Amino acid sequence: MSTTTADVRAEDGKSIGSADRRFRLEGLGLTLVIVALGIIFTLINPRFASVDNFLNILTQASTYIIVAMGMTFVIAKAGIDLSVGSTLAVVTCVFFGFIDDGMPWALALFIMFALGAALGAVNGLMVAFLAVPALIATLGTMVAYRGAALLHSSGKLYHGLPPEIVWLGQGRLFGIPVPVIMAAIFVAFCWWLFNRTRFGLHCRSVGGNREAARLAGVPVSRIEVLVYTFMGVCVTIGGLIWMARIDGTQATLGTAMEIHVIAATIIGGTSLFGGRGTIYGSLAGAILLTMLNNALVIAGVEFFWQLVAIGVIVVIAVTVNNVRENRIVWLDTLRTRRNQKSRRARGA
Amino acid sequence: MITEALEPHQPLLSVRDIDKSYGGLRAIDGVSLDIKRGEIVALVGDNGAGKSTLIKMICGALRPDGGEILLRGAPVSFGSPKDATDSGIETVHQSLGLVETLNVPENVFLGREKTFRVFGLFNQLDLPKMRAETRRLLEKFRISVPTLNEPVFRLSGGQRQTIAISRLLLSEPDVIIMDEPMAALGVDEGRQVMDLVVNLRDQGIAVLMISHNLEHVFQIADRIAVLKNGRLVGVVATAETSREAVVAMITLGAA
Ligand SMILES: Nc1ncnc2c1ncn2[C@@H]1O[C@H](COP(=O)(O)OP(=O)(O)OP(=O)(O)O)[C@@H](O)[C@H]1O
Ligand SMILES: [Mg+2]
Repeated sequence: MSTTTADVRAEDGKSIGSADRRFRLEGLGLTLVIVALGIIFTLINPRFASVDNFLNILTQASTYIIVAMGMTFVIAKAGIDLSVGSTLAVVTCVFFGFIDDGMPWALALFIMFALGAALGAVNGLMVAFLAVPALIATLGTMVAYRGAALLHSSGKLYHGLPPEIVWLGQGRLFGIPVPVIMAAIFVAFCWWLFNRTRFGLHCRSVGGNREAARLAGVPVSRIEVLVYTFMGVCVTIGGLIWMARIDGTQATLGTAMEIHVIAATIIGGTSLFGGRGTIYGSLAGAILLTMLNNALVIAGVEFFWQLVAIGVIVVIAVTVNNVRENRIVWLDTLRTRRNQKSRRARGA
Repeated sequence: MITEALEPHQPLLSVRDIDKSYGGLRAIDGVSLDIKRGEIVALVGDNGAGKSTLIKMICGALRPDGGEILLRGAPVSFGSPKDATDSGIETVHQSLGLVETLNVPENVFLGREKTFRVFGLFNQLDLPKMRAETRRLLEKFRISVPTLNEPVFRLSGGQRQTIAISRLLLSEPDVIIMDEPMAALGVDEGRQVMDLVVNLRDQGIAVLMISHNLEHVFQIADRIAVLKNGRLVGVVATAETSREAVVAMITLGAA
């Protein structure tokens, strides 16, 4: 700060920016939860703590992590995308269809990405130009895209990818699974995009206050189309890794994926009300959910109970966020009453 | 055209016979108004008179139904607020200025971020520069804003208002429009803003300011335009009128 400032209040230590925290430990709580759960699972079953299981969890999580990155942008923009699982099914089935027809994989890959972006853009166009609420628009495409995937595949189980593609899902580099490496690079890229670029800032501004953003000169409609398009691209990358990992796909792939991904994003601390989000939180959220799933599987819990667990976790996560952001009115009333009582007690 | 532009008394900004309806309601009905360089025009009127609607058309946030807006003698048609800013018209809006979830520098620079190139390819936000410039701008107002990195909903109404006003000084505008700039401010802070406005006027900037506070209006405005029910009642020079006369225009709608 300049030493020549004539501001008297500067001496009170109240001047501009003086109270800013240098290091913000966001997402620390979630990290601690992950570590604590890891310890608990290890105590229950020592197999959990192996390096192999750790890499295995990250590999399983990679698709969710990548899709949760896109979802962080969408939710920070005060949107939602329920169509991610269906989009994933469409792009992987279409890709496989081309491969089965003998198309070179590079060309098929290119078309797959163009299709993923286009399917996302359809959501964005509906939200931006037809003013369809995101929940409804993507609920519609969730069903429509799933139908399209079923039509295209006519119930077929696809199998048999070119080795180059399989490597993306099953290969290793320096002993680390390729999906984990891809996810790590993508997370770093998304952190930069979210926090350090115009696009990220504009997403957050539209989510925070659409009209103020518009008045400030943010191209609101363009951002809306772009953010859903980006979501489509994220889903395509996630789908590519998933189908390569299992070397196959079918029209039902990615069913119930939206709830997992939205859960990961919300657990991470991205506000459903828009305007704020954290990339690290979504990463941690996706890892946490996969860890839980993994532990439940090791413990022999049925898939349907896993769904119940996810549902409960989502509600808890949103509630925790609401408590943190002081949105729960009756809690506040209780707090006020308690304060009044203790004050009266002191007065007496 | 060029000779016209050089003429000293030609208005910098003029609004000609402009209209705007919301459904059946005529919010602005055939209003014409001129603003010259180096003058402060105050726009006054009762709640719902159409003041905010009028300035939203000038700053590109709303499209007029009819009439013309001329800037430096040439007709302009703004498709978005950004078009207006690019032509040198800066605006502070009534209570809608900021995105509450963004922090201070993000708000100040929203829509015209400072960036630099990485790898000669991508634009990255220049956060240190935006932060430093924000601090420099805010220092002008001598208002304490203890945190720049927190979302602005944590700040007081006056602090937020100051941040919104400081956006005006980012570029070098020819026209400044302010909707109730002093409404949320304390006596001292309001004083700072009024000094700033006078200062800007003296630099040759044209200022259009909405205010309900006639004391402020009479202190700094050169002319006063009165709106009632979407119509312009009249424009009077501050030096040639009295507060009673202006109040009569606002309430009775008679010049
Ligand atoms: N978006 C809108 N849709 C419909 N009617 C509107 C809209 N905005 C304003 N109006 C109406 O237009 C009229 C003028 O509103 P405006 O906001 O311009 O008033 P104002 O002079 O700025 O009032 P105030 O002093 O309270 O800010 C009002 O009757 C208002 O109800
Ligand atoms: Mg108004």
